[in-house]
Amino acid sequence: MENLGSLAILLAFCVAIYATLASLVGRVKRKPFLIVSGERAVYSIWVLMTIASGVLVYSLLTGDFRMSYVAEHSNRTMPILYKFAAWWGGQEGSLLFWSWLLSTYAAVVVFTNRRKHRDMMPWVIGVMTTVQSFFLVLNNFIANPFRVLAQEKLIVNVGDGNGLSPLLQYPAMAIHPPMLYLGYVGFCVPFAFAIGSLITRQPGDAWIHTTRRWTLVTWLFQSTGIMLGAAWAYHVLGWGGYWGWDPVENASLLPWLSGTAFLHSVMMQEKKGMMKVWNIVLVSTTFFLCIFGTFLTRSGVVSSVHAFAQGSIGKFFVTFLAIGIAGTVYLILNRLDFLKSEAQLESVLSRESSFLFNNLVLLASCFAVLWGTLFPVISEAVTGEKISVDAPFYNRVQVPIGLFMLFLTGVGPLIAWRRSSFESLRKSFLWPTVAAVGVAAVLAVSGIHHFYALMSFGLSAFVLISVGLEFVKGASAISSKSGTNILTAMVELTHRNTRRYGGYLVHVGIVLIFIAFTGKAFDKDAVQEVTPGGTMQIGRYALHVVSFDQGQNENYQWGKLNIDVSKDGDDLGKIEPEHRLYRASKSATSEVAIRRRLNEDLYVNFAGTSPDGQKVIIQAYVFPLVTWIWVGYWVVLIGTLVCLVPNKQKLIWARTEVVGIADKHAKAQN
Amino acid sequence: MQKHKISRRKFFAGASLAAAALVSTSRAQVAKGVNESGIMSEDVRRVGMRLACLCRSCKNTVGDCAMLECGYCAPMRKRIAAMQAAGQDDDAIVNAIVAQDGKEALAVPPAQGFALFAWATPYLAVVIGLFAIWAFIRRFSAKRHAVPDVDPEILDRYHDRIEKDMSKLD
Repeated sequence: MENLGSLAILLAFCVAIYATLASLVGRVKRKPFLIVSGERAVYSIWVLMTIASGVLVYSLLTGDFRMSYVAEHSNRTMPILYKFAAWWGGQEGSLLFWSWLLSTYAAVVVFTNRRKHRDMMPWVIGVMTTVQSFFLVLNNFIANPFRVLAQEKLIVNVGDGNGLSPLLQYPAMAIHPPMLYLGYVGFCVPFAFAIGSLITRQPGDAWIHTTRRWTLVTWLFQSTGIMLGAAWAYHVLGWGGYWGWDPVENASLLPWLSGTAFLHSVMMQEKKGMMKVWNIVLVSTTFFLCIFGTFLTRSGVVSSVHAFAQGSIGKFFVTFLAIGIAGTVYLILNRLDFLKSEAQLESVLSRESSFLFNNLVLLASCFAVLWGTLFPVISEAVTGEKISVDAPFYNRVQVPIGLFMLFLTGVGPLIAWRRSSFESLRKSFLWPTVAAVGVAAVLAVSGIHHFYALMSFGLSAFVLISVGLEFVKGASAISSKSGTNILTAMVELTHRNTRRYGGYLVHVGIVLIFIAFTGKAFDKDAVQEVTPGGTMQIGRYALHVVSFDQGQNENYQWGKLNIDVSKDGDDLGKIEPEHRLYRASKSATSEVAIRRRLNEDLYVNFAGTSPDGQKVIIQAYVFPLVTWIWVGYWVVLIGTLVCLVPNKQKLIWARTEVVGIADKHAKAQN
Repeated sequence: MQKHKISRRKFFAGASLAAAALVSTSRAQVAKGVNESGIMSEDVRRVGMRLACLCRSCKNTVGDCAMLECGYCAPMRKRIAAMQAAGQDDDAIVNAIVAQDGKEALAVPPAQGFALFAWATPYLAVVIGLFAIWAFIRRFSAKRHAVPDVDPEILDRYHDRIEKDMSKLD
């Protein structure tokens, strides 16, 4: 089987190189048969990568412990879901997964554009298969997942494997990497179209219309991956953190931030024909940040909690990034004449301006994350001394930036395209401002004096009211005209312009997530040794340890606490935090007990026993508002899906060069 | 799942111990220093919040790293406790640890020397971004031309067209 897998990735590598050459030569020499051949080669790559991936998955599921990768990342006792998830649980497998996803995306792109963009497609295929070739170099020659264990030239079957890291044996973690990878890999598509558009000197924005859905879907995958990672950290690591500013977490956030900036600024190009260079820069930045993220995850250049899969492949990524960035910069500079703006800013008080500030804030945040992630390496290179950049740094730098972003989330929808008068702004801002000040005042009076928290809650109210008013105003107009009720009118309103109102829903989701982040300012925690039968207190909760049970199964040994929870004397039922020790890897994990409510989570971790074995150690936390992170994500998901639904009627924006009209008439008169 | 009750002798040393537990577990954390289970006092935690956990497995501080047996934090907490017991204040403890372990031991970059760049650069980037926006607005703002008189006939034609278009909208 391993030979079949090795052969498949080797053939895929050869076919990928052929696809690149056939597409590019076919396009330059105007040889249609070569172009078609290049397209078919893309399908062949997908078939070969699917065979290779199938071989690896089959080996993992059947426990072929002759293979090094299987022995390292799987074992007989693992549940089937995690045996499958071991595909992306290690270095070699995850890079194969990357390649397989890219081949799938490429095949879908070729199929869906088989009758469109005939001039651009060979270049698009050329870019995608070049990226594919790079990853296939890694698959074949650097991190081959089909190596077998051998001793004195004889293949060895070790009988059983080490198993997947216990920390990864969690349902959210089984789908977290695929989601992130779908995001990382997906940004290759708009990048390839952008490069294709540059090379073919297309002055228009056909590439944007073609890739808008790709970008949105990819962004959604990236968001989902980040959120699953947060959920995993919250449930598995045992300290209730959902975001730790770990370099690998940061690596996933970087393209998300630049991708979000792109999704906003691209509207300027669609509606006004502006920011063409900037959009190419943003989509390229996002793609290279995806590669950079993979590099950070896989190279070990910065220390990370995600040290599940690392190796010495960093130099290959650095070389690829250097060549890719240099080529893209050259191409952009060479094609500047084709990227001229078609319109001008009519007023500083306009939606266009708010997008500029939105891009500034998102990219400032992106840069701050990148800077913090790399600063220890930079510092060591410059001064010879390593400097730690930990969570407190990010929190101090990112909180003001985040609050400004929140403010813009509310301001953007209130400002009209082209030009807003002060009078219209006064009208639009009145109620959101009243709500913001009101919420902050009420909270301050009720005893909350945390400045950033008051700002955050106030701004959240500002955004929610501004978005709410947009819905109500539009729906009221429809309702009064058609006689339908306000809810039906809201659905109708959304259906008429799904991108706009879906986008507003995404904003609401982001606000809910910000509200949850703000709750972090009011966390409570307590660590205590408790003798079974005893009670510990955290905030208004009392935790009475009823019993401590132990047991084992084939995969792990476990110890479980049986705790009665009460709040202000009212019985709230039982919780059972658990501690596990996995046999194969000899590593311990926590199965925390969480009592979820919309106002706060009670989070209890069984951390172990005291050295004399007489007491159990309980880490208890109260996390206010944390559930709104997950609620916010679902709203973001729904909003993004709404954006993907076609409008009831196609909207057409007239790109009028308004300022020029009078001049043209004047010239005509003369 | 096979369930084994843990040895009663080990975890429940009789009813007397259970009764004692009711009294002993009503306190929060430990009063001073670090106990045998690795639980620290508020004083140790306060200093620990200024120091990075260098176990390479998290980006927390010594004060909030949740791993009680963390290979880096557990001995560091004991070291802090010992220095506090010797009467040193917070700054002296942090300085002593930095002198021994280097600036890497700090949770955030110190605001001095090259490390100052860590703090300044993100804000500098924002300033550069604001300047870029200002330059963009200047370059792409529509110039306010002196508008020449337009033939009223042409204007009327435009107005009629606008009204027709508007009437088509719902």
